[in-house]
This record gives sequence, structure tokens and C-alpha cells, in this order.
Amino acid sequence: MQPFVQDTIVAISTPPGTGGLAVIRISGPQALETIKLFFTRAQDLKPRYATFGKLNHPSLSEGEFDDCIVTFFKGPHSVTGEDLVEVSIHGGAYLQQKLLEVLLRAPGIRAASAGEFTFRSFLSGRIDLSRAEAVADLIHAKDAAAHKNARGQLQGNLRVLVEDMSKKLIQSLTVLEAELDFSDQEIEFSPPDALLTPLKSLQTTTEALLETYFYGRRLEEGIRVPLVGAPNSGKSSLFNLLLGQDRAIVTPQAGTTRDTIEKSVIIAGHSVLLIDTAGIRKTQNDAESSGVDRSIDEIEHADIVIFVEAPDTEAVPNDKLINTPQITVFNKIDLVNTPPKNKDVYLSCTTKEGFETLRDRLYQQVINMINNGVEGVILNSERHQDVFIRFRGQLSVCVESITNELGPEYIASDLRLALDILGEITGKTTPDDILNQIFSGFCVGK
Amino acid sequence: MGKPFVNKTPLLTTYDIIVVGGGHAGIEASLAASRLGKTTLLITMEANALGRASCNPAIGGLAKGHLVREIDALGGEMAKATDATGIQFKMLNRSKGRAVWSPRAQIDKKAYSTYMVDVCTTQPGLDILEDEATGVFATPDGTNITGVTTKKGVVFSCRALVLTNGTFLNGLIHIGDKSFSAGRINESASVGITESLVDLGFETGRLKTGTPPRVKRDSIDFSQTSVQDGDANPEPFSFSTNNFNPPNEACYITKTNPETHSIINASIEFSPLFSGVIKGVGPRYCPSIEDKVVRFAEKNSHQLFLEPEWTNANQIYVNGFSSSLPEDVQLKSLRTVPGLENVEFIRPGYAIEYDYFPPSQLKASLETKRVKGLFFAGQINGTSGYEEAAAQGLMAGINASRNIDNTDPFVLGRDEAYIGVLIDDLITKITDEPYRMFTSRAEHRLLLRYDNAHFRLSKKGYHLGLASETAFKQTEREMALAGKTEAYFESTYIKADDINALINAQTKITESQTLANILKRPGVTVGQIKSLLPDWINALSPTLLTLIATNTKYSGYMARERQQVERLSKHQKMAIPEGVDYLSMQAVSFEARQKLDKIRPETIGQASRISGVSPADVSLLIILIKKFVSRETH
Repeated sequence: MQPFVQDTIVAISTPPGTGGLAVIRISGPQALETIKLFFTRAQDLKPRYATFGKLNHPSLSEGEFDDCIVTFFKGPHSVTGEDLVEVSIHGGAYLQQKLLEVLLRAPGIRAASAGEFTFRSFLSGRIDLSRAEAVADLIHAKDAAAHKNARGQLQGNLRVLVEDMSKKLIQSLTVLEAELDFSDQEIEFSPPDALLTPLKSLQTTTEALLETYFYGRRLEEGIRVPLVGAPNSGKSSLFNLLLGQDRAIVTPQAGTTRDTIEKSVIIAGHSVLLIDTAGIRKTQNDAESSGVDRSIDEIEHADIVIFVEAPDTEAVPNDKLINTPQITVFNKIDLVNTPPKNKDVYLSCTTKEGFETLRDRLYQQVINMINNGVEGVILNSERHQDVFIRFRGQLSVCVESITNELGPEYIASDLRLALDILGEITGKTTPDDILNQIFSGFCVGK
Repeated sequence: MGKPFVNKTPLLTTYDIIVVGGGHAGIEASLAASRLGKTTLLITMEANALGRASCNPAIGGLAKGHLVREIDALGGEMAKATDATGIQFKMLNRSKGRAVWSPRAQIDKKAYSTYMVDVCTTQPGLDILEDEATGVFATPDGTNITGVTTKKGVVFSCRALVLTNGTFLNGLIHIGDKSFSAGRINESASVGITESLVDLGFETGRLKTGTPPRVKRDSIDFSQTSVQDGDANPEPFSFSTNNFNPPNEACYITKTNPETHSIINASIEFSPLFSGVIKGVGPRYCPSIEDKVVRFAEKNSHQLFLEPEWTNANQIYVNGFSSSLPEDVQLKSLRTVPGLENVEFIRPGYAIEYDYFPPSQLKASLETKRVKGLFFAGQINGTSGYEEAAAQGLMAGINASRNIDNTDPFVLGRDEAYIGVLIDDLITKITDEPYRMFTSRAEHRLLLRYDNAHFRLSKKGYHLGLASETAFKQTEREMALAGKTEAYFESTYIKADDINALINAQTKITESQTLANILKRPGVTVGQIKSLLPDWINALSPTLLTLIATNTKYSGYMARERQQVERLSKHQKMAIPEGVDYLSMQAVSFEARQKLDKIRPETIGQASRISGVSPADVSLLIILIKKFVSRETH
């Protein structure tokens, strides 16, 4: 928690996962400026009025992103006492996540810490002490609760990893600070390479960590597995078979599933979101057409795609999905004698022939997805991702300063800022930590 | 030495402010207090020893030079005294960026002390008494200071008291297995003050420091050493020093060798540092030679600097050879060093232990939290160094005076001055060794340069009533010119060919650039691009022009540091009420509760800088304090 910061914070205020609606809140001096970047009717925003419009920005999507209702509260007449913007959008997990990620890249915006909205409310005198103390308990409880669940376990590992990373930075900083504070004494200074090597290794670690974020989110929300195929290829039958219940409406008429249906199952200990999509084909029917758009969207954000084709339907091109793991299923095997070659699974939903093979394939793909993390750390919170993105940026600044042979006082300033960023996870590094290193490593003192 | 001291008479029995101790802290405190119009009494055990440099004959150095410049900008005396009595001036870190340059001077110790005696004895409103303060008086409830008593049995009353006792409180000198009571060599220790402060409830501790031998110049063979001169074009410390043309006396460098080290190792058990006789903690940045030999056994040699103590002195200070070994071991080992084969001692090195009062007992004004009107400055607060002492003395003198006037304390932020860093560090740390200033202690190092100290502080010094109007007006003019010039640098483009003709870039510049961007290139100096500048800029004094170019060079980094200062400022100044019960704050971590209870910070900013107090603890503290305040007011 960063109690002194006056910057603008953002967070999803509705519970995690998919819901009917999701509310994203932005609080702080930049709140209004930020939403103006994305909201089509920003000029109509009036304090304490809800304004209906659209979110539209190239970084969100090509074309309109979603309908939304934006309510603006002018500080101090808001729950946080600051300028506050509430954005209500449709509650799809992807929509929420995408909007949050894009907002976090806006200037002066960072992810809110746990309880920070309430904390700001208290500081501005908008809520009473009993509620504020509840927040205090929440902040305090964070560690205790952390031990209770797997997520906390991961965070414990994160602390160790970050402390390790800080140590590398402190090592480099120690050399520079000794050079600045004890240059009148006999100290052998290191060449630039000695500074660069630990930074390069930190860059590698940071990249690897950021790669785990995607998986970390999936751990939280479930691995997205859409079933994709032409209408009437039997996606819904397969969906029901995988779920073991009649969730989707199955009819012989093509194009019945006009929207997507999600349901989660546990595979290999992981929550997997099976998504039944509308069949992909050219359609004149408006309702069905929007379902088709949604299906294409799902393919683009899938973790594993199950392509379903049948003897009586055409295959769906999968050229957009070069890097996404996929399983190709040839359904209704009971209807043909010579099925096409090179499919992963040959299946009949009616006879359940080949179903075990599909389950094994899916199981294997889920296992393949599991990221072991960096030193057991998997990033799963936006706040941590936000910290590491800024850390990565600052590391590049450090490397650039060293490469450009800037003076040690510049590089030290760059490294200190990098340390401060890491400090948002583990706590601040003090000058004494660095002086202790100098005194233990160098013989200083005339 | 110096001129004979004449006590000014008549002495009063009541003063606004009494200062105990005539070292670097005591002088600045006395001068500030009297210059701010307060009747002031300086009590010193030896009036001729005002400003005596007990250890090395030098002022300034890395980070310390910054402090001296800040003292000057605020209207203190140390920089002027150094300029008047320095015998060698050198800018350190010259090969690095300006932010970390720092001036240092070898001084003539005798002339320095004489200068300070002159200034103090001619200062209106300042009386000087040669006596020893042996106790302090407070109101019966112990909450307000009322006066002091002296060894000669006189009682003085005062409205504020500044204690700057240095190493004198129960001072104990060690040389080998001998130890004896003393404040410095050949000067008595001071007894009684510690005891009366402990009676008032103060916590005290012991620290240790040391000094190297002084040797006869004519016993040294300088042909075996290398010469170290000062700068050919020296810069003065004070912004008001003109026509600066100081002497440039040489220092000499030689080195210890394995033979030196083996003699020291063979007698290590006779060092009170290693035999366990010395209980006080010494400074790691200023280790004794025996410390260096033992802790860095892999090093075959350590540098020694031979520094003259005053002009034409037959007394040389052996910098780097601080020791508390027996005198014969010191002499025998030193005689293995090239040039020192026949060296003769004037006196051996020694270690000294003394009482200090952990400065977490102070407010940011340097007033004690426990007793109103009582201020501490200098080594009594666990610091080391003349410059650190003088800076605290100045601030204590100013705040003692403001305390009497009932005006808000004068406190400098960590982003405003090294003095701010120094005092904030002192009051928020659990000190376990003598504290010395380093540039790395300043998180806003690039803002706090030695060359912009007057830009940062002249206005404050003038409004305090200490810095002269002339100096203030001069600074205002320079700041206006700097603003104009920096804007010109930012907005004036120069053609690529013209730039390439002047600077030797690795890859040729292809597009026109602003003057600012040219200056930001590593290695480019304003001197190189003079032909691109208009006459009005070239007419600026070289010092000012360099300062402006430095601002431009660092502008991006300075802006970033200012942003960080702003980000952190929201709760920095939020006051914590007295009497908060930290120990009952169950939600705060145990370590943080203990530290907070001991240090009792005045603001949330101070609390956040105490080691062991995490950001989460600080958040809780803010909440609980709001609760405390609302309960108190309902």
C-alpha cells in the first residue's frame, strides 16, 4: 500500500469473473482526463449524472469496444473525495480485463492496492471510523489470509524473488555509490560490464515473470477453450458431452447457438472454461451475425481451440491461430466410411466413439499450458503486473544510461528509481542498506 | 597560539540563550543566536581553543563540502573561516558530474581557531565565559529548561540552552593498555552534565572515535613520498568571498606494507579495540589502522596522507593511521613506511570514548522532546565531523532563538538541503555508530548540488535574519539570469554542421539540435560551445554559466526527482500528536510498534523513514492517528 501517493488509481470494482455487468472505477486527479480518451460522449459528462455511450479507441479494439454507462463524481463530492469515474460495461471477463489493461497504460494511472478506494474515502473523511478500521483489518489480514490459500503461497515466493532481484540492483548500486562517496580513497572500481551483467539478468527474469501473468490470470479465471466450427458441426453436442449435462440447446437446425455459452469444468486440477460458440458462416440474420462476431472474438482470445468439423459441414479456416494450441475434431465419424486425414480426433457424439481420445488430448494440452513460473512465482494480480511493467521500463533506462556512458550519478539515480519500483512489493531499500554493503566490501576511511 | 583572550565584562546572570561548548557546533549556535538579537552566553573550558580542529586539519570533502556551502548560504561562519585560513583547496570528484563535486580544504588549524576567536569576541550580544558547565537546571516538573551551573559555582539562568559538548562528556582516552580521563588530549573531560541529563530522564550511550599520531615534519624524508597539490584555480567555499588567492601547500602520500601490518598484527592484543576494553562503537568509515589490517587482511598496503597542521608547522597529521595501539607499537610500525623510517612523534594516536545522547530524543528543531528549551548539537548527538557539527549548531542556534520568539521551528526538508537529510536521519534512526554525511544518504542528490546551495537557501537565510541582503539580492539576480539562460538553451536550435565542427561526437550529428540537447551529451561542456552563445550569455561569470549549464545537463533527472518529491509529499507533514500509545496498536507489526514507541516521530513523514516501519504500518498509523485525534476532540 502506498499511502502517500496522489496519483490516479483504477480497479475493477465488481467481483472477479464473468457477470452481467462490470464496474471499473477510476479515482484521482486524472480520472476525467483518462475516460475522455475512450468515451464517445465525454463532452456530455455532468457530475452525478449517468451518461450512456460507447467505448471507442484503437487500443481497445478495431471499431467500437462496448456500450457503457459512465458516471462522473466531481471531488470532493465523491466516495473517495477525489474526482471519480465509474464505468459500467458488459460483464465479460475479456471485456473487463482488456479495458483495465488499456486504462493502466494511460498517463499517470496505476492499479489500486487492496482496499485503496476505501482508504482514500477515509482519508478524505467520506466514511466513518468503523468502516475505516475494517479496511485496516483488511490490510492487516492480507498476510494472514495469504498463508491460507495457494495464491498467498505464490505471493510468499514472489517476495523472496523480488528481494533477490533487489539484491542484484543493490550490488550494482553499491559499486557506483562507493565510487561517488569514496573516490578520494583506494577503491578498485568496476568496469561498465560488471554493472550491465546483473541488469541483463534482471531483464531476463522480468520478461519471464511478465510472461507468467497471462497464465496467472487464467489460473484465476479459467483456461478459455472455445468450440469452434461451422453451424451444425455438433459443437453443442460435444459441449454437453464434455460437461456431462444438457447445458446448450441442441437442435438439428443449423445456427441455434446464437450467442456464446460458457461453463467451467475441472481438467488436470485446472478450471477450464468451455465455450460453445455460434457456428461460423456468412449469415443474413442480424442476431446470428453478432453471435458470429463474438465467436471470432473468442477464437482470438482462446487458450486452446477445439475445431469441430463434420462430414456434412465445411471446415473453418484457422489461419488466425498460428500460436494457439488447438485440437481438430472430426465429428459424426459414424456417418462416413473414409474420413479425411490429419485430424487429431475422430469422434461420434452419438456413440461416444473417440471421446476418450479427445479427453486425453485436452488433458495433455492443459498440462502443456502450465507455466511453472519463475522460481515458483506466477504473477496473477494487475498490481504486480503493473509494477513489473514499470520495472522493465526503468531497467531499460538504466541499461541505456550505462551504454551511453553517462556519469555514475545519473546511473545511480536510475538504479535507485528501479529499486523504489521493486520496493512497492517488498518495502523500501534505504541508503543504510547500501552503505552497509560498501563498508563490508571496501576498506574505506583515511 | 592566537591572541590573548579578554573576557568581556560585565557578565549577566540571565541570558536568552546559553551555549555550552566552543567547538564547531557551539560557535555556529552562539553566532546565530546573538545575530538574531538574543543575549547569548558561550561557556567554554578554554576560550583560546574556540573552533579548535581536534582531528584532521581539513574542512569539507565529499558531502561535507555541501554542508559547508549550505551553512554559508544560511548565514553561518564556517565557509568564511575556511576561505580565510585554508592553505590548500581541492575540488573532489572533478572527473565526475557536477552534482557530486565537493570542495575540500586543508586549513591552518591555528589561524582557523584565531579567526573564530576574533569573530566571536567581536560579536555584539555574545558573551564568552571560560568555565565548565557541570549541570543543567529545569523546572521542578522537568519540562522546561531554566539554566546551568558551572564548576566555579556560578549559576546562570536562560530561556534556551544549547549543549554542544563534543567528546568531553566523561571522555576517556585509550592508548594501548593505558586509559585516562580527558576531553581531548591534554584537555580535561567534563563531568556532571550527563548525570544531570540522566536525572531528567534522558537515555545516554557511549561512542568511540580516534585520531592518528602527530609527527615532526623534519623527521620525514619527503623524497620517498609522492606530492599532492591543491587545485591551481581554487574555488572558495563562501558565496561572499572575493579576490580569492589562497596558498597551495602540498600534502604527501605514502603507503604501509606487509611489514607494517605484521608488526600491528603481532601486538593486536594490546589494542583496547580488540582486547574488549573499549565498549563504545567506532565509525566504520573511519577505521583505525589495526581495524583495517585485521578486517581487510587481504590488502597488502594502505594509503597514508601526510598533512601539515598549519603553515610552516613542524607538526604533520598522519591521515589514515588512526590508532589506539601502545605508543611504541605505533612508532615501530610507522617506521616501516617509506619516508617515515626515522619519524619522531609529537604525540601518538589515541582512541576516545565519550557519552552521547541518542538523537531520537530530539525533534526536527533539535530541541529535546522531553525538556522544552533544551537543544543538542554536534557529537553529543552521535555525529562525527566538523561540518556535521557546525550544521547542527547553526540550526540549534536558529531554533533556540525562534523558540524564544514563539515562532515555528526552522526545519529543512530532505529535498532542500543536506542539512535536512542530516537532521531527519538523526531523529529517525537508532544510531549505532558515529553518523557521517555521505552523498548517498540524499535520495535527491541531483537537486542538492554544492554549486546551487545559495539558490536553494539564500532566501531562507535572509528571511531568517542571518544572511546579508547583499548576498540575497545577488542570488535573486543570478536566479533570474539562470532562468532566462536555461530558457534560451531550450529554445535555440543549432545546425548540425555547426555542432559537428565544435564537438567530437562518435557518430556525426545529422539534424539541428537545441543548445540544451547539445549540453546534455556526455562530455560536452559549456566551454566547448561558447562560440554558439550570444554575448549576454558569454558575459555571465564563469561560475554562474557553469551552474546554468549543469542545471541544463541534469534537467531531465532533476524534474524526475522533483516529481518524486511531490508524489511523496501528501502525508509527509501530517503531525502525529504527542502521547500516542503505539504499543497498543495491535495491527501494527511488533517491530514497528517498538521503534515508533522509542523514536516517537513528529510527523508521518518521519515515521515512514524509520527502518522496520513498513508502508502498511504507516497506512495503519494514519488511520489510527485520525481516530486518536477525533477521540481527543470529542
